[in-house]
Amino acid sequence: MAVTETVNTGARRMNPTVVKDEAATWNDCLLRVARDSDQAAFQQLFNKFSPLIKAFTAKQPSFGNQAANMSEELVQETMVKVWQKAASFNPEKASASTWIFTIARNTRIDLIRKTSRHHQNRINNDDSEDGFDVEDIWIENEDEDVFNQLAKQRSAETLHEAMKNLPEEQAFILKKVYLEDKSHTEIAEELDLPLGTVKSRVRLALSKLRLSVDR
Amino acid sequence: MVKKQLVKYHPDTRFLTDYAAGSLPESQAMCVAAHLHYCPSCRSHIRDLTQVGTALFMDQPPAEVSAGSFEQVMAKLAQTGKSTVTETATAANESPASDAKQEKLDTETAELPRAIRKMTRGSLENLNWRNLGKTFRYSTIRTGDTRRESSLLEIKAGGEIPRHHHGGDEITVVLKGSFSDQEDRYHVGDYIVRTRGEAHTPVASQDEDCLCLTTLDSPIVVNNWFYRMLMPFLKKPTSAH
Repeated sequence: MAVTETVNTGARRMNPTVVKDEAATWNDCLLRVARDSDQAAFQQLFNKFSPLIKAFTAKQPSFGNQAANMSEELVQETMVKVWQKAASFNPEKASASTWIFTIARNTRIDLIRKTSRHHQNRINNDDSEDGFDVEDIWIENEDEDVFNQLAKQRSAETLHEAMKNLPEEQAFILKKVYLEDKSHTEIAEELDLPLGTVKSRVRLALSKLRLSVDR
Repeated sequence: MVKKQLVKYHPDTRFLTDYAAGSLPESQAMCVAAHLHYCPSCRSHIRDLTQVGTALFMDQPPAEVSAGSFEQVMAKLAQTGKSTVTETATAANESPASDAKQEKLDTETAELPRAIRKMTRGSLENLNWRNLGKTFRYSTIRTGDTRRESSLLEIKAGGEIPRHHHGGDEITVVLKGSFSDQEDRYHVGDYIVRTRGEAHTPVASQDEDCLCLTTLDSPIVVNNWFYRMLMPFLKKPTSAH
C-alpha cells in the first residue's frame, strides 16, 4: 500500500534531498505560525503557496466568467484558514504541503457548494441548511498507525520523484483528475472516451507510482 | 474511529480518487465518507491518493496572485479578531468540549458517520421521515448536489423493499444492521453500487432494523406502487420541508 523505492534514472530527476529540505522548511514555517503567530513565517508560506492555490483553482469549470475573482477569493480564503487552523497542524501526521493542499481543496468544494446552494435556495425559496459542513464529508483522516505514518512521510519524496517519470498519457490523466476538478465521468465526456478507459488509465498511473490499486 | 469490523464491499479506485481530488459530487462523497468511517484500509488508500494530489499540486506552474493579496488576508484576520493563532486555538478548543457533551446524549447515533450524526442531532427521530408501508421509511438528505437524490432508508427487521430497477446508478452504504439481496448479505460499512438497469429486492435481516445511506443518480423508472409513491417526492426534494 505504501509507495516503495523506485529506481529513477529519468532526465527530469529532482534531487530528493532538495524536496525533503523544502518540505522541512514549510513544516517549520507553519509551526512558527502556530507557536508564535509569526507573520514573517506566514508571509513565507503565502509567497510559496498562494500562487499554487491560484493555479489550482484557476481551471474551475463551474465558475464561468467569474473564474478570476473566485480564484482570488479562494486563495485568500484558504490562507486565512491556514492561519486560523495552524494550531491543529501536526507534522508527524501530515506534511505542511499536504495539509495546505487539503485545506485548498476543501475551501474550493465549500465555495462551489455555497454557490450552488444559494442558487437552489432561490429557486425553491428555501433557506434551510443541510446540518453538516464540507469538513464532515471530506474529513481529515489522520493515520492511526504511527509506523504507517513514518513510512508514508518517507515515501512522499519517493512518490514525488516517481511522478516525474510517468508516461505522458498517465501524467495527463492524473492532472485532469487532481488539478482540473473533473470527476472520472466528466473527463470521460470531455475526452470522448468510455468511463472504463479513464478508469483504467488512472489505475495504470497509480500502479506505476507503486500505489496499491486493489479497489 | 469505530470498532474494527470486516468490510467486504469497497468503493473502487474511481470513487476513491475523485474523493481525494475533491471532484466527486457531494452526495456520492457522503457515501464514500460513510464507508471510510468503517474501513481503515480505504482510509489508508485515501491518504496515499491525497499524497498524489499534493505532489501534483506542488509541481504546478505557479500563477500570479493579485497585488495586495497578502495584505488583504492580514486585514481579514485582523477583522475576525483572530490575528494571533493562540486566540484562534482557544476558540477552537471550546467546541470539542461541547461536542463531547452532545455525544453523551446520543448513544443511538454515536457510531454513525460524522455528517449523518450531525444531521440527526442526537436521534434519528429528529429527521423528517416518510413511511412507505409498515416496514420501510426514508428521509431525504439535502446536499449541494442537484443531480442526485440522497436519503436515509430504514427497513424494519425482516422487511422488504419491492423488486425494482434503476434508471441511474445507485450507491448504498449500510450504517446499521444488515440486508440481503439475491447476490449477497451486506453489513455495516459495505459500499454497494448498483448500475443502471440492475434489478434487486433488498430484505433486512430478521434480527435487526437496517439503516442505509443511499444516493441515486436520477429518478428510477418502474411502474409499481413503490415508485409511484416515491416518484413525486424524488422530483421535488424539498417538499418535505
